[in-house]
Amino acid sequence: MRDLKHLIFFENLLQEANNDLVKQARSEGKRAIGYTCYFMPEVLLDLPGCFSVRLRAPRSSSPEMATYYMSNRTCHYGRSLMERALEGGFNFLDAQMATETCTVTCRFQEHLQRMDIIQNPDFFCEFTDVPFKKTENSYEHFRKQLQVHVLDKLAERFGIDTSDAALISAIEEHNEVCRLISEIGEYRKLDNPPITGYEFHVIQLVSLTCPKYLILPYLRETAEELKTREPEPKFPFRVRVALAGAENDDPNFTQLIESCGAMVVADRYCYGSLPGREEITVAEGQSPLDAVARHYLKTSMCPRFMPKEDMRGRKKYLADIVKEYKADGLIVASNKFCEYWSYERMMDALILPRDFGIPTCSIEKEYVNSASGQLRTRFQAFIESVEIKKIQGGDKT
Amino acid sequence: MAKFFKILFKILLIAGAIYAALFAVFYFDLDGKLLFRKVEPLLAKHYDKMERRDPLSVMYEIGK
Amino acid sequence: MKKLDLKKLKNMDVKKLARDFWYGKPHGERRLGELYEDKTGLYKHREWRGVKDTMYYFNNIWLYNYVMMVGDIMKFGGPVLFAKGLWRYRWLGQTYLPVLHWFDRGLEGLRGEALRASAWHYRAMVCVTINQFMNMFKADGNLRGGEHNDAWHHSIAHKETVWGGVFYPWMDKYTHIPLEMIPYFVTCHVNNHTVLNYIDAVQSIGLPGDPCPMCQAEAGLFVLDDMPDYAPFMVTSNEACDGSVASTAVQDWFMNVPLFAMPQPMQFDDPLVQEHCANEIRELWKFIEEQTGAPFNWELLKEYLEKQNELQRFEWEKWDVAANTSYYPINGVAQALYRIYQTQYGEHYIWHDTDKRVRKIMEKCVEQRINSFPLTRHRVIAWSCAPLYYSNWCTWAYNCWGLNTIINMDSLMFDMTIRTDNLDDTVMDMARYHEWAPMRRMAVGGMHHIFELWENMEKFHCDMVMMYDQLQCKGMQGVVGLFEDEFRARNIHAIWMPHALPDKRTVSRAEIRRIINDYMTTVMQEEPLDPSLLDFDDSESW
Repeated sequence: MRDLKHLIFFENLLQEANNDLVKQARSEGKRAIGYTCYFMPEVLLDLPGCFSVRLRAPRSSSPEMATYYMSNRTCHYGRSLMERALEGGFNFLDAQMATETCTVTCRFQEHLQRMDIIQNPDFFCEFTDVPFKKTENSYEHFRKQLQVHVLDKLAERFGIDTSDAALISAIEEHNEVCRLISEIGEYRKLDNPPITGYEFHVIQLVSLTCPKYLILPYLRETAEELKTREPEPKFPFRVRVALAGAENDDPNFTQLIESCGAMVVADRYCYGSLPGREEITVAEGQSPLDAVARHYLKTSMCPRFMPKEDMRGRKKYLADIVKEYKADGLIVASNKFCEYWSYERMMDALILPRDFGIPTCSIEKEYVNSASGQLRTRFQAFIESVEIKKIQGGDKT
Repeated sequence: MAKFFKILFKILLIAGAIYAALFAVFYFDLDGKLLFRKVEPLLAKHYDKMERRDPLSVMYEIGK
Repeated sequence: MKKLDLKKLKNMDVKKLARDFWYGKPHGERRLGELYEDKTGLYKHREWRGVKDTMYYFNNIWLYNYVMMVGDIMKFGGPVLFAKGLWRYRWLGQTYLPVLHWFDRGLEGLRGEALRASAWHYRAMVCVTINQFMNMFKADGNLRGGEHNDAWHHSIAHKETVWGGVFYPWMDKYTHIPLEMIPYFVTCHVNNHTVLNYIDAVQSIGLPGDPCPMCQAEAGLFVLDDMPDYAPFMVTSNEACDGSVASTAVQDWFMNVPLFAMPQPMQFDDPLVQEHCANEIRELWKFIEEQTGAPFNWELLKEYLEKQNELQRFEWEKWDVAANTSYYPINGVAQALYRIYQTQYGEHYIWHDTDKRVRKIMEKCVEQRINSFPLTRHRVIAWSCAPLYYSNWCTWAYNCWGLNTIINMDSLMFDMTIRTDNLDDTVMDMARYHEWAPMRRMAVGGMHHIFELWENMEKFHCDMVMMYDQLQCKGMQGVVGLFEDEFRARNIHAIWMPHALPDKRTVSRAEIRRIINDYMTTVMQEEPLDPSLLDFDDSESW
């Protein structure tokens, strides 16, 4: 396939949290608002006058200073963010909109609150309480939290317009991003997609880490380009897999899987687009904030949700994705020390092959995947087994 | 009367002996030793051998 | 045969011998470590505490508790039911029998009023434990070939971190039984061999080794099919941490009964979250009504809460004595275990009986100025979550080094009474109470909570911190550096005690002792009160 016109530009944007577009937006007087978790609705941080940056710590190595603060027995992602913050890599942030939605990212954000790490005089870190259920009580609670801890704070501290009209305009812009990403992602359902999993991963990540109004023209152009992009004459991968799991903002991980012969056709992990890039619908008479609060709780498939129907529904959702994207198998990856995904991965690896007949590879990874040799061996073995199953299945039919 | 005292004495003697024996069990931790060396290994063997339901056979019903 | 050493005999101080026999050896001359058999921790002979205390221990603790254990079994269901349960469940067979050794370990070296008061705490915990497991067995389908009897239909199962108080409105007809409190939590203290089976079981189906071992064990109970089937539905919660949320999914799978999740908000200081939390409790009550068909009983709730409030008021009196005098007669382990058990489980008649007895003893100590821990060198506050397999470390630390644990973090949870004047206030208080649960009040909702340590050090007049370092607790691991900084800045003596909650294989008890010994000798430059306790091998002990 011919290279995507903006791929290298996108890849470069992912080399730094404070990338060129972030710098440009700040120079235009916009406030940079950091966040880590899907439960902090990015759309609220993309109100006119500010923009959201989902934090990453690209090109991390060993987080020495963060390990002093958070020990070497916590998730590498949380520690890498902390390290990057200590190095000064997040000094561009004007605020961090925090959630206590998993322990280690919470601790990282509490450090930002307690210590004088972010060298920006305007900086503040505000926590929002996120419910564990999807009931009316939860929606109501979440809406109030977002009003007080996000909107009111943005208005107080930075004079951001948080009126319904401003929210509607942010939602419209957000929905356009979602539409474009979904449109691009849809190609992955084709038998021979004109986009690889790696490319999609890069595009999804830039949509999370760059100011929306600046990245949108590039996304539009890329979506347009894909309409006519010719795929390889023959599907260049041996099998198709869905990738699920914990936090993953490393396109090289996707590339690693693809270099072993499996195209990653679906991305159901934190920072992925499934779920995450569904449009927000504001019903008539509904307040936009209410629509946002409901949208983020309803669409999330986080292992944090505790009701029976949500816990069990997550397996079905995953199985449906595998089917919809015609994946031959599933890779479930959890980050070391991630409590939620350790259990979720174990259960996925037991239930999805047994109850849904989906070949599943269960792996544990680090934020910085230095042990790529071992992972490669695991993926190769898995791909081989899926391929054999596929051939045997094909013979039968 | 003498017989009564004799019986009482005997009862007291037996009670005293039991009490002394219990004290010996207590003082020399004979209860602990018995439980640690004999009872627990026996029970552990029993639990190890016990037939158990395979939990993985429990269906994961969706929408229940 | 050994020759009689006449010289030694001549030099013997008969008066001292008689005094040691009558009063027991004074602290400083004792050699408690010499009483242990190698590895097993069994006693060559139990400690001679002087005539009065040895006989008290023998009659009023050892004999009394054996008799009461039998009595409780008769009272709560009978020997046949007990035997069936014992034969079926590892956690019972391996842990019920050595209970008196658990007393021994916790009460080592104690004399006088401290021995008495601490032992009553232990007795109460044994009674509630027996009550709970017998209630499980009464309703257990596993002991009845899968049949579900009336007791099964009248039992409520809940995660142990759901406070028992939310079930008070149904206490006249229903029994609430925490799922893991007996099979997991209590067993770890009594006999740490059992829990390893459950941890291994859940890892054998693919769980990595790094999540919290408590949650691992709680899930492992189901994997090993060692959980009674005693209730038609269950109630769960997000307390204390991510691991509890995640392991609920495993429990839900294997229990496969209707489930109600009653999560508590994380940012509990925020006044906005209270209503949400109270609504969750209300929704739980609706769920119980639906499941049982039995209506919510406000009068019953009030009655039980008022009884519970009495317990809390006495606890405050205890803290007052502990904080401001040297006459507190309860040792660190008895204080910690009793408090967490009582507050987490909820109302039970034995707590009141025990508090009455302890009040008498404590008042006597205060009136007569009896210092039960006279060789206290340092008043210690224990912070974060304790090693369950070595909860009696504080007994050892006092005997060996004079480190007297005055209070611990988990005791300070649930630090409130609940209003009973009207339902709205009551529910709001219950919400708050639940948010202040163990390993939560200080562990979530902002770092400032975990740093309440400094205020409590001051309040309890402590000069040293035993900083528990639960290696697999992400919340606590995520804050170690700031603690280090604060300890240095405040010039506080703090000993980091690494452990893995129920799993002694990760950090052994000997290792824990070595770390304390090293700190005491190198940093504090102190000599042990009992050198025989410095180093001994109890690797195989209960």
